[in-house]
Amino acid sequence: MVPGSLTESTQALLDPPPREDPFIRLDRIRVSYALKGGERKIVLDGIDLEIHAGEFISVIGQTGCGKSTLLRLVLGSETPTEGRVLVEGREVVRPDRDRGYVPQKYSLFPDKTVVDNITFGLEVEEFNLLTCFTPRYYTRRHEFRAEAMRQLAKMGLHETDATKYPDQLSGGMQQRVAIAQALVMKPKILLMDEAFSALDPGTRAGMQKLIREVWKETGTTVLFVTHNIAEAVRLATRVIVLAKNPAADGSRVALDLSTAEPDISARIEQVTGHIRSDAS
Amino acid sequence: MSLLNICAKPSRAATWTLSWLLFATGIVMYFYTAQKRHKENPDDRVVPTLSQLASGIYQAAMSQDGDDQPSADAQGQSAFERFRHGMLWTDTVASSRRFFYGLALLFPAVLLGLHMGIFPYFGIFFLRFILFFDKIIALSVLPILFIAFGIDELSKVMLIVIGVTPTIILDTFNLTKGVPPEQLVKGFTLGASDFDVAYRVVLKQIWPRVLNSIRLNLKPLMLFLFAGEMIASTDGLAYRIALLRRHMGMNIIIPYVLWVALLLFLVDLAMRLLNKKLHPWFREA
Repeated sequence: MVPGSLTESTQALLDPPPREDPFIRLDRIRVSYALKGGERKIVLDGIDLEIHAGEFISVIGQTGCGKSTLLRLVLGSETPTEGRVLVEGREVVRPDRDRGYVPQKYSLFPDKTVVDNITFGLEVEEFNLLTCFTPRYYTRRHEFRAEAMRQLAKMGLHETDATKYPDQLSGGMQQRVAIAQALVMKPKILLMDEAFSALDPGTRAGMQKLIREVWKETGTTVLFVTHNIAEAVRLATRVIVLAKNPAADGSRVALDLSTAEPDISARIEQVTGHIRSDAS
Repeated sequence: MSLLNICAKPSRAATWTLSWLLFATGIVMYFYTAQKRHKENPDDRVVPTLSQLASGIYQAAMSQDGDDQPSADAQGQSAFERFRHGMLWTDTVASSRRFFYGLALLFPAVLLGLHMGIFPYFGIFFLRFILFFDKIIALSVLPILFIAFGIDELSKVMLIVIGVTPTIILDTFNLTKGVPPEQLVKGFTLGASDFDVAYRVVLKQIWPRVLNSIRLNLKPLMLFLFAGEMIASTDGLAYRIALLRRHMGMNIIIPYVLWVALLLFLVDLAMRLLNKKLHPWFREA
């Protein structure tokens, strides 16, 4: 070792910790739609949001405030009018396999059985339209099915459910399959849009427990859109509230409940008064 | 019991009786009329009696084209051979061939509709043209078809194409557009390519409805086929009906009409059963 030089570990202690780049970054996002007569409806405006890998983020807000739009921006199924959405530093242009998606409705392919719904992603990833008729496909299919059955078991579903079609399952079971379908692809981000909204309270509580366990086990970054404040607070590591822009131009801004300025926090408290009491 | 009661629950016997009543009435009225007319004029050919119909069916099934009765040569042949060379069978084969050509040409139409519905540029390029094409009355272009394609098979098949494919294209387009966008996004998030989403997600979901659409268009398809055969053909079921019209051959025309209806009913039934078997998940609206 050269005299006077520092070991790597000593150097690391002396240097300021490197600033971790956000995993997902929404940069000055504005989304607006053209209305008849040339006017534009602003849905989201000036949204700046940073999400780090492994976070469980809940997005709440009133109906029509742009929660789902925010999720679709990260998903890539919608593009912002202004600004950029970056995931791992790359701009999001369309949905891809890095981002799993569980919507409230139409979460499963109705023409496929439970097991085929789960293996679909594995199959299309390895076999295209032409190679899906080769002998190798049929060999691999057995392995895909075994993996699907493992996922099903994790979600608390029975082997006998594997051959059922989605319309033969209850709402809760459908969402369990949808989560298994998304997770089997090992996505970096799991996007859930009001995924539990249509479920009864009992099933909903079970699903909340399940998704929390899945998140802890996989460490996947989760963006969870809900209109249920208690659910948002109970599940997430961070809650984002979409609230009216203080500039009062009718648009919405994202306020981070954990870091908001005291006066803004107070306003959020006014809007979402019973968050804390519900959460406790 | 009120017939105009929305909440009525007809019994099994009532359902069976009522559903066959019109058939029975039609048959009874037909034979009553036939008997009455034959009492007035024993040579009446407009409403043939049962025996005349039976002899017409036998003649159609066992006689070759142009023979009034089974020929002397044919007498030595087996019944099966005579049937195979008989008018009914040869006409059925000729019409069926054209029918299945037309049916096969509907599949490219389905693919075009699918691509129009799923790939925006495809849709923009074709939609306006197909919408215009759909409004053209197929029979009005029949003379053009005969001039352009001659009076052979091609013009008849083209008539079917012009008459039915725009409807199938537009139907498939609408069905494709009706697939929830969540399903397409879901496909992409599971690693599917554009073509995977088109063929392995969307086409699979709309396929039973497309088959239904084709099934419901079987009658227009036959209509255009019959129009072509009646005007320019030397064989086929419609050609025979048009030919016998000149000779007032109602004893053969009526069995032919019923035979065509039966064939169409069987094709329709086969398609319905196939649809049910292949797509157990599908629930008709």
